[in-house]
Formats: sequence, C-alpha cells, structure tokens
Amino acid sequence: MFRVFLFSLFILGNCGLLYAADGEVDFLDDAFYEETPEEDAIKDPFEGINRVVFTFNDYAFMWVMNPVATGYSELLPSDIRGSIANFFYNLQEPMRAVNSLLQVRFTDAGTLLARFAINSVGGVGGLGDPAAIMGFQKVEASFCQTLYTWGVPDGIFLMLPLMGPTTMRDVSGGLVDRFSVTPFYYTWAAGWEESVGIFMGKEVNNLSLHLGEYEKVKEMSVDPYAALRDGFYQHRRQRWEGSVVHHETENETEDEIGAWLE
Amino acid sequence: MQNFRCALVFFLSLFVFSVVTQISAAALPDPTEQLKPVIDKVVSLLKDTEFRKRPVVDQSEVIVKIVSERFDFREMSKRVMGKQWRTLSSEQQDQFIALFTKLLQYVYINQVDDYLDKKIEFIDQRIRRDRAEVKTLLVGQDKSIPVSYIMLLKKDTWMAYDIVIEGVSLIRNYMEQISTVLRDEKFPGLISMLEKKITKLEAGEKDE
Repeated sequence: MFRVFLFSLFILGNCGLLYAADGEVDFLDDAFYEETPEEDAIKDPFEGINRVVFTFNDYAFMWVMNPVATGYSELLPSDIRGSIANFFYNLQEPMRAVNSLLQVRFTDAGTLLARFAINSVGGVGGLGDPAAIMGFQKVEASFCQTLYTWGVPDGIFLMLPLMGPTTMRDVSGGLVDRFSVTPFYYTWAAGWEESVGIFMGKEVNNLSLHLGEYEKVKEMSVDPYAALRDGFYQHRRQRWEGSVVHHETENETEDEIGAWLE
Repeated sequence: MQNFRCALVFFLSLFVFSVVTQISAAALPDPTEQLKPVIDKVVSLLKDTEFRKRPVVDQSEVIVKIVSERFDFREMSKRVMGKQWRTLSSEQQDQFIALFTKLLQYVYINQVDDYLDKKIEFIDQRIRRDRAEVKTLLVGQDKSIPVSYIMLLKKDTWMAYDIVIEGVSLIRNYMEQISTVLRDEKFPGLISMLEKKITKLEAGEKDE
C-alpha cells in the first residue's frame, strides 16, 4: 500500500520532468539548463572549418552585404521593402501547403492555400498581406520540417559560406524549398545570370529589413560563433514548436498524465 | 479488494497532493506585480534624455541598483557556468560574477535603445512550484517580439535569472559560449576576454 503511495508521489514529482522530454522546452525546468553543451544534441565535428567559414562570412557581411543592404534601405522606404519581401514570401506559399500535407497538417494546408489565393488576388500578386487581417495568419511549413517529421536526424552542424548556420538535414531540405520556386524565376529571367540576380535581390531585400541584428549578437557575445550556433538551434525549435508534429510517440501517455494534472 | 484499496489510496494521494500544490500556489506573491515596477522604472529612466547624457558607466551603476532588486546576477552567473561552477574557487566565482554582471548591464543598456519606441505589455504568467515565467510582448510598429522573464522564488520575492527573447534563452546561449571559451582558453582566458569586452563597451566602441 505504502509503495503505491510512493509511486503516485513519484509520478507527480516527475511530471515536470516529462515535459522536458521529446524536444519540447520548458524554461521552468532545470533540466533545460543542466545538460552541458558538449553532451547534448549539437554535433559539430567540423568546428574548425566552420569557424573559418564564420570568419569569412563575418567579413563578407560587414564589408559587402551590410553596406549594400544599408544603401538599398536608404533608397527604398521600409513599406516598399516589406511589400517586396511579401511578394517573395507569397511565391513560396503553395510549397508550404504541399509540405503541410506531407506533414499531415490538413488545417494548416487549407490556411496556406487560402492565404495564397487571397494574397495573390487581393494583395496584388502578394505585395500586401490582407489574408492575415482576415484571420489567416502566417504558418511555417518547410521541407526541412517535413524531413524532421519523417524522423530524419539533424546530422552535423554546418556553417555555409554566405548562407550561414544550418544542419546537414536542413541543407537538403532547404535546397528542395529553394529550387521549388526557381521555375518562377526562370519564366521571367532571360538567363541564369538574371535568376541569380533576382535571388540576390531577394536576399539583400530581406537583410535590409533586419539591419543591425547581427551586429547586436556580435557585440554582446564572448564567442560569436557559439552564440550564433546556439541561437540557430534555439530559434528554430521555438519557430517549429506547436506547428510540427513530433515523431516520437513513446512519451505520449506520460504527457497525457501531465496534461491532465496541469 | 486489495486492488481496490490500492487504487483508492493511489487516487486519494494524487488528489491530496494536487490540492496541496494548488493551495501553496495560491499563497505565493504575484511575479508580474513584483517585476513590473522595476521594468517600468528602468524604461522611464532610459527614456529620460537628461539621464542618457551621463557617462555610460554612471548610467549602468544607477540601473544595476534598481535591477538588482529583481534580477539575481549570482544565479545567472552560476547557471551560465554550468558544471564548471563547482570547480571554481570562491574568489574566482566572485570575480566571474562581477564581470558577467557588468557585461549584462552594458548589453542591456546598448540594446535598449531599440526598444524605447516600443510598448511593453505584460500578457501572461505561469507559476510552477518556486519557478515562474512572466510573459511580455514588446509591441513595435511593424513587429512584436515576445520576451519572457524566468524567475525563482527566494523567500517571498521573485528573482529573475533568465530572459527568453523570441524563444532564445539568454543564459543558455551564454552557457554555450562560455563552455567553448573555457575549453579553448581556460578560466584566465575567459576573464581577460570579458575584461576586454567590457572596456570596449564602456568606451562605447562598436565592433569593427
């Protein structure tokens, strides 16, 4: 009898810990802080090379990308730059819908298709975002997430030239996402040079909306490389939380107990 | 019969335990109520143009005095060090706390300019045992940024030990950085690095 009592206490005492399992993060839980960085999921065997690429990116960013984007931001007011970003975002919307389907998120797929239809027509080819006002909020669904949902492991951490931090799985996922919209570019562009031009224009435009953010990270960190690497993982997890279906199912019953107690 | 009694005790203890935790939760002081005045005070100071004309070192001294009421810099330093904390002597610990606290202050003062045109909304809070998360939203013109304060109950005051911005835990991020610095340069290297960073920030210099 006493053992049963102890057992029930044990479950209660542990339900807090169970939340932290399976990729979900609870900041109220010390387990989140106690895992030491070397032991946890981040695999970075090519740290040496990655750091060299990071230094290269840093110079490229500070001396080329940033001045270009700053000059560009002075040429065009922020609402026009916002519209351009919306335009490119809208082009990717059908691909997001496909990915939602691949991840068995039917409601999100519907939302995304509705967004595409509304914004393409009502938002003049996607320059505005009237769908958000009508209640169809932005949803993230990329092929990287699809691979994650299917249980493809993250693989090693990579710092790509000019593209920045990513992982082995996200590189392949990202390629699929990027190439899926390039046919659109091809139909307007006369040759591959113009396609590259459009792509670079899109990147510069996006950067012009986030000026100063990278410098901030650098200014406040003692090891900018490690800061960026950890920031990448933490930020991605937060963006994906809630939208992505977890593929681990073993913890489900325990989570249900936890949810019932909450 | 035996099984039935077992089950009864099981559910009874579950019930009692959940009631007890709820009662103790109800008696706790309110974390938002404790945090909000401190944040408001700091923001109003930083909006004061007269105050902002004073040297950065002065500004940060005043601010740290206010902020220390609600932010536990010792706890932050301890968490940032992780397992290494116990390997340090108490002098080393104090040295690190002093430097890390300074770094956080300057970071805060330098960043805060961006936030001054935004409104801080306290949207939600949740408490579990002696921990609490106070959720705020920095509302800007075209973008809102979620910022959470993670707090620990010490006697009857809530003390913040982490800030989570857009899902990125500041302490966790520093922990990652410090572990690589310690791996490559050991403790003396970390201290000299922090000192260099702080003199730079004190002079108001930007990175090249």
